[in-house]
Amino acid sequence: MDKRNRTTNVLIVGVGGQGVIMVSKVLAQLCQEAGHDVKQSEVHGMAKRGGGVFSHVRFGPKVWSPTIPEGEVDILVALEWAEGLRWIRHLKPETGTFIADCQKIVPPFACRSRKRGAEPAYAPQTPEEIIDQVHAGYVMDATGLAANLGNARAANTVLLGALSTALDFPEAAWAQVIAATVPPKSVGINARAFTEGRAWALGGTKRIDVTASGLQKSRAEVHHPQVETVVEITADWCKGCDICVKSCPERCLRLNDQLKAELALPELCTGCQLCSWLCPDMAISVTNTPVQEAAS
Amino acid sequence: MKDTKTETAASFDVNDYLRQDRMPHFLCPGCGHGIALRALLWAVHEQGIPKDRLAVVSGIGCSGRLSAYIDANTFHTTHGRPLTFATGLKLARPDLHVIVITGDGDCLAIGGNHLIHACRRNLDITCVMLNNEIYGMTGGQVSPMTAEGRFTTTTPEGNTEPNFDACALAAAAGASFVGREVTAQVLALKTLLGQAIAHEGFSFVEVLSDCTEIYGRKNDLGASPEMMLAKKSAMRPYAYRNTVDVPFRPNALRTGVLTRTDRPEYGAAWRAMAARIREEE
Ligand SMILES: Cc1ncc(C[n+]2csc(CCOP(=O)(O)OP(=O)(O)O)c2C)c(N)n1
Ligand code: SF4
Ligand code: SF4
Ligand code: SF4
Ligand SMILES: [Mg+2]
Repeated sequence: MDKRNRTTNVLIVGVGGQGVIMVSKVLAQLCQEAGHDVKQSEVHGMAKRGGGVFSHVRFGPKVWSPTIPEGEVDILVALEWAEGLRWIRHLKPETGTFIADCQKIVPPFACRSRKRGAEPAYAPQTPEEIIDQVHAGYVMDATGLAANLGNARAANTVLLGALSTALDFPEAAWAQVIAATVPPKSVGINARAFTEGRAWALGGTKRIDVTASGLQKSRAEVHHPQVETVVEITADWCKGCDICVKSCPERCLRLNDQLKAELALPELCTGCQLCSWLCPDMAISVTNTPVQEAAS
Repeated sequence: MKDTKTETAASFDVNDYLRQDRMPHFLCPGCGHGIALRALLWAVHEQGIPKDRLAVVSGIGCSGRLSAYIDANTFHTTHGRPLTFATGLKLARPDLHVIVITGDGDCLAIGGNHLIHACRRNLDITCVMLNNEIYGMTGGQVSPMTAEGRFTTTTPEGNTEPNFDACALAAAAGASFVGREVTAQVLALKTLLGQAIAHEGFSFVEVLSDCTEIYGRKNDLGASPEMMLAKKSAMRPYAYRNTVDVPFRPNALRTGVLTRTDRPEYGAAWRAMAARIREEE
């Protein structure tokens, strides 16, 4: 069938809070501006945050139904790995494209044993097994890529970049719609995330790259006459809320240009620990060791 | 006093009590629930409760999700019912320290009836209600704790209903330990939570938390640090009651331990009855 005359079906899935709706909004807006008839329908809000969210986007000369029948999805975009697997049977068997973040958000109920290192009851399939089953497939560490750019929450835009390679819209049109959709202060990071995701996906039609980065920690040692103070900040957990910065009695913390807390003036830190008590994200640890102990 | 101090007090590292593979948690930047979680784990540590004897039961909400991050026996139950699950658990396993984490919507709206009856029974459970004055998780609907005049998604012109005084409610219903604290006073909060855990009987602690992302924005309350500090300066710490002739902030909500009574604990009476029946058979 002539590609221009039929409806293109894109299914976007993930869990609450990841930005599934933003991806589908951008796509729907773009299709509309390109003159297509568009129908978008979504299920969210019924899910608890962290529960499943999905959105159907259909476009073409004339779209009748807002939902995509099973087995008719042209492109499946998964912001979370297991959610992608949940919906994979909706993909067109011969021609479907699967785009997924390898990031795993393990639901609380999958955690049946709390022994250290115990395997949660989470989807065991590997990216290699899944890619084998689909026509075209991309499994990427979108969250890691976005985190390296400065904000892990831009992972959805990284995936939009990958999605853009599978559809026939000009790159500039994507960029424009994204800039108009996201909050003004995050236009820059989203533009970078889109470019990065697009460049990555242009590297091949069956690509897997799941190199996740380890926890990034910064460590500062402060020497006092009687105690050694060590301030450790886990940048990956810090959400830049500014609470530690505004609460530190010595004003020695600040947010860096990636909106992560850092100890800017270590010589002023008294080791009072207030920052670590108030950090809602447990990102700061302050330990004080008496000098004799530290020496031995 | 319960036999809580069974482990020697090592210094507290919150990471010992967190499921590392679940972190970072899903709360929005600056959400007060995170501060409350850390304070609670600190109190648990100070009470010397081994993780195997700690059971955290939570309802549904941003507050309810916190149990997923705690490395102990955790039970993420249904909306409004954590106290009912906790009641069953505590009756079956009196050796466990049962702590309930609940939200203002979870505890006082859908779960309001369960709260008053749990208070009335006085079973040895610690109920920690994280009050952010809103349904955070579902996008910011009005809750029984939303103050008059505040904006939420369901009160776009301002809330016209008065809110509960949750502590007065719990005390009137019979809770034998009732306290309230703000997140900014984290040491006081930790101490209060420790006292609540150590108390024999039903203890209710209202933590004044902040939903920065929704409530804060809708009501123009400033960024997270401002919201947190504003709460602190709007309270009347119980400890200040005798320090000045003129009452300190006379119209403000009081924080600290508000009620502590010595009523019979329900579990003991229930077990005595069970033993009697068994003997008679
Ligand atoms: C039976 C039932 N009704 C409604 C819901 C939707 N729901 C989920 S969380 C919530 C309110 C949570 O508010 P609160 O307890 O204050 O928690 P917060 O998110 O503010 O911490 C509601 C109404 C549900 N999950 N289950
Ligand atoms: S330990 Fe105290 S002085 Fe040092 S950075 Fe933290 S709050 Fe500031
Ligand atoms: S309080 Fe914690 S999350 Fe907030 S800015 Fe500081 S380190 Fe980051
Ligand atoms: S919605 Fe509100 S209560 Fe929920 S995590 Fe965000 S700030 Fe916290
Ligand atoms: Mg609430």
